[in-house]
Amino acid sequence: MTTVARARARSDRTTVYLLLLPALLPVLVLSVVPLLRGIYLGFTDARAGRDVDTSFTGIDNYRELLSDDLFWSAFRIGLVWAFGVTILQFVLALGLALLLDQPLRFRGFARVMALVPWAMPPVIVGIMWRLVYHPDAGLLNEMLYRGGAEGLRHNWLGDFSTALPAVILVGIWAGMPQTTIVLLAGLQGVPRELHEAAAVDGASAWQRFRSVTIPNLMPVVIAITSLDFIWNFNSFGLVYVLTAGGPGGRTMLPMLFAYEEAFRYGNYGYAAALGNVMVVIIVALLAVYLRRRLREANA
Amino acid sequence: MKARRTTKALQYVALLGYMVFLGFPLVWMLSTSFKPPREMVEIHPTLVPHNPTFDNYVEAFTEQELGRAALNSLQVSLATAVLTVLVALPAAYALARFKTRLGTVALGWVLLSQLFPFVLLVIPLFLILRQVDLVNTHAGLVLVYVVWALPFALWMLQGFVRNIPRELEEAAAVDGATRLQTLRRVVAPLLAPGVVATSLFAFISAWNEFFFALVLLKSPDLATLPVTLARFVGVEGIARLGPLAAGSLLATVPSLLFFAFLQRRLTSGSLAGAVKG
Amino acid sequence: MLRKLVAVSAALLIGLSGCGGGGDEETSEGPVKLRFLSLAWQKESLAANRELVDKWNAEHPDIQVEYVQGDWNSVHDQLLTSFEGGDAPDVFQYESASIGEFAEQGYLADLSGLLSDDFKSEISQGIWDTVTVDGKVAGAPFLLESQVVIANKKLLDAAGVTVPAAGQAWTWDEFQANAQKLTKGGTYGVAWALKSPTNRVMNLSLNFDGKFFYTEGGKTEVKVGDAEKEIPRRIHDMIYVSKTASPDAVGMGGTDPLPGFFAGKYAMLPGGVFLRQQMVEQAPAGFEWVTLPPVKGTTANQAANPQTLSISEDSAGKKQAAQFVEYFLNPANQARLAQGDWLVPTGRKAGEELVKATGGKQGWDVAVASAADLTIAPFQTVSGYPEWKTKYATPALQQYFANKITLDQLGTQLVDGGKQVLR
Repeated sequence: MTTVARARARSDRTTVYLLLLPALLPVLVLSVVPLLRGIYLGFTDARAGRDVDTSFTGIDNYRELLSDDLFWSAFRIGLVWAFGVTILQFVLALGLALLLDQPLRFRGFARVMALVPWAMPPVIVGIMWRLVYHPDAGLLNEMLYRGGAEGLRHNWLGDFSTALPAVILVGIWAGMPQTTIVLLAGLQGVPRELHEAAAVDGASAWQRFRSVTIPNLMPVVIAITSLDFIWNFNSFGLVYVLTAGGPGGRTMLPMLFAYEEAFRYGNYGYAAALGNVMVVIIVALLAVYLRRRLREANA
Repeated sequence: MKARRTTKALQYVALLGYMVFLGFPLVWMLSTSFKPPREMVEIHPTLVPHNPTFDNYVEAFTEQELGRAALNSLQVSLATAVLTVLVALPAAYALARFKTRLGTVALGWVLLSQLFPFVLLVIPLFLILRQVDLVNTHAGLVLVYVVWALPFALWMLQGFVRNIPRELEEAAAVDGATRLQTLRRVVAPLLAPGVVATSLFAFISAWNEFFFALVLLKSPDLATLPVTLARFVGVEGIARLGPLAAGSLLATVPSLLFFAFLQRRLTSGSLAGAVKG
Repeated sequence: MLRKLVAVSAALLIGLSGCGGGGDEETSEGPVKLRFLSLAWQKESLAANRELVDKWNAEHPDIQVEYVQGDWNSVHDQLLTSFEGGDAPDVFQYESASIGEFAEQGYLADLSGLLSDDFKSEISQGIWDTVTVDGKVAGAPFLLESQVVIANKKLLDAAGVTVPAAGQAWTWDEFQANAQKLTKGGTYGVAWALKSPTNRVMNLSLNFDGKFFYTEGGKTEVKVGDAEKEIPRRIHDMIYVSKTASPDAVGMGGTDPLPGFFAGKYAMLPGGVFLRQQMVEQAPAGFEWVTLPPVKGTTANQAANPQTLSISEDSAGKKQAAQFVEYFLNPANQARLAQGDWLVPTGRKAGEELVKATGGKQGWDVAVASAADLTIAPFQTVSGYPEWKTKYATPALQQYFANKITLDQLGTQLVDGGKQVLR
């Protein structure tokens, strides 16, 4: 390496740090500290209370956690929920983003409408969906009734077998805008020349989609699916309003479980341990996914 | 030709399907906001109220200070959106274009911070903000929201930067453009849709956020919209649906307008700037 | 480099804190300032709360109360966070079932020495017991919700079922027999809304002396014997054996059965006294409804879970706060608050005033009379109850009421859950 090259590398590095710092500083102050504390709590017996002593308990929480059947059953439901919502959401959002990218009429209006689930205040979203699924006066059953399919009327949220699919549908609805907008923005980033060049070469629409759109969209796809997965795994507010984890624990999500452990029963230490375990498992899952995808993307 | 027309028709059908699926709760909310109490418990609900009324709006606005809450929310959300983009943009560029260990660690950390159950972070966060006297201020809330929106912003924006072929920048450099010129003429237009998506995300997540706003703000005059709206819900999740729907409409419209205003940015720009400039 | 950074970030922080509103209002001089977190949400009760606070502030320039409105869904999180952060409201509204834990954690002031004897004598001992933790009074109880039955008068008449007078309550057997008479065509006799079944079952089980929690020698355990099985079995039988209760309603909560009730799909609706408000506001024109007295078993007892006003241990003005609580809950005010929320006041005089003011109409006679049978149930003093309820009892009861497990399996699950939680 020549001296010039080295000097340039150093100046580059300084630039990088300067660019990164404004973002990393607030994150450092407001997320690293609480996060480290949170992780540490997972190795203690911390409880809610005024002037309570907390002591380090090592891996006691984790030993208890291993045999906590309720948690693991919630964890399995959480995986079904997170994978179900993320995958279906992605497929539907990609379809919508591709449509919104076409020169269709009412496109601007449609784009705004696509944002509705996101724009509605969460406090009313759960309530509106409860009205949709209401067994007596619900919109869904009313539609079936008016459509002559009275026999299909169903107690959607109350039935043990349909409760989870019903809340997954709401989860998909709620997260669609985010994914759609990001994918749509990603589609705009695909340089038009590449499309044109491929078209000149005689590639069909499908071939262009596969050889131009998909590879160029890949970084965005990876980022949004990873984040969606994490968010979906971590979200429980909507499900709480819809079913509160019922019926019979069929929609009890792991984050709801951890939340109740901390905020209802005051077991901060154990709740943090649950958090730690979930983080480790999800990181492992993501690592597999990200590694393969990133390699594909860089290849 | 015929095949193309069929494709077009199918596209419209699909688009309509999406619109109905995504939009009907809003339509239903609109309808509910004009219904008198008796019509909310009909066994065969109707879309158009039999006896439409403005009572719900009157009730919602006289009972709670929704106007002030909306202003508070607007202030907090705009500040969040602007700050998030300002802070995230350079960092995302650096992360995408230069490989450094710090960058990798930062990206990993940022993802990790999203993973940990945030309910467990609330109390430590509260204590830190208390130390620097930011509890019960909008500034403290904005700070929390920016930190919260940053992971998404960083991940998305660096994805968008990566999407821009390096060759375009190099070509500009060969043509004698300075780094800043390259950024302005080549990178910025291509990045515009990503910036729009990111700022929208930051805006809406701040606009709708409930928990931190509830916990951090004590004074009634500082309360944001979601916290104010939640007051229409009572014991056992029983809601005063009329005023809630009326108030929620007020909360929904600004986001939609904000987006209607921005959405054109999601397409225009693109390469046009790079080619013509 | 690093130093610059710190300087910049400090400036940023200072700049940010400067542009925010609010800020500290703590002053060492001047009047005592109290923050009052209220959970009022009904129109009338909101108005009453605000008016009472305004009146207090006008009459007491040296004790100024700031009215802050919370909401029932998030109040627990809000309180817990503010307790931990050392920033709790001085006075707050909540319920006896939930403040027990805060009291055990040491966050609540003991009101026994702060409230006057006059105030205390207004409320029965059974109710005071529900807010007493380790001999300390955690809150002032003021609003009660008893379980009554609202019925469709026309359907009762058509089936030849007579409305029992106050004090002539039906027994469970009579209730079930009448439900049978009312079940015909597309109509079910009863809609049991059991989305959150545990509190419902615990409350009603006192009818048959079902205690669930038994403490011996300082150790508490869950037992499910015949007494405990009565209520679950009877409800289950109505749904699946006599088919006089709708299976669809099982997953419903709160006010969900109303559309069906108003449409004549259900003839009777067991629920809290507050449901009368929905009757008044939402029943279609010409719909006649009537409040039936609570159904009784071997006794008419039900568990009381009164709403409460508590004072924070960390409050700087506990004495003043107690003064405010006494004012806020004096008989006239209590009657007004109860009327606004369609609940029953705990105070004797307040109850009398309320019946007088309303003429006993709209079910107020039955509602106020039912308060006499409200008392403490064993589950209310068990500190692991919330955990047992969410983790074990609710899922088990939901399974039983969905006919997925047997009564014996239900019993086993409840007992095993007790063993897990009450270690």
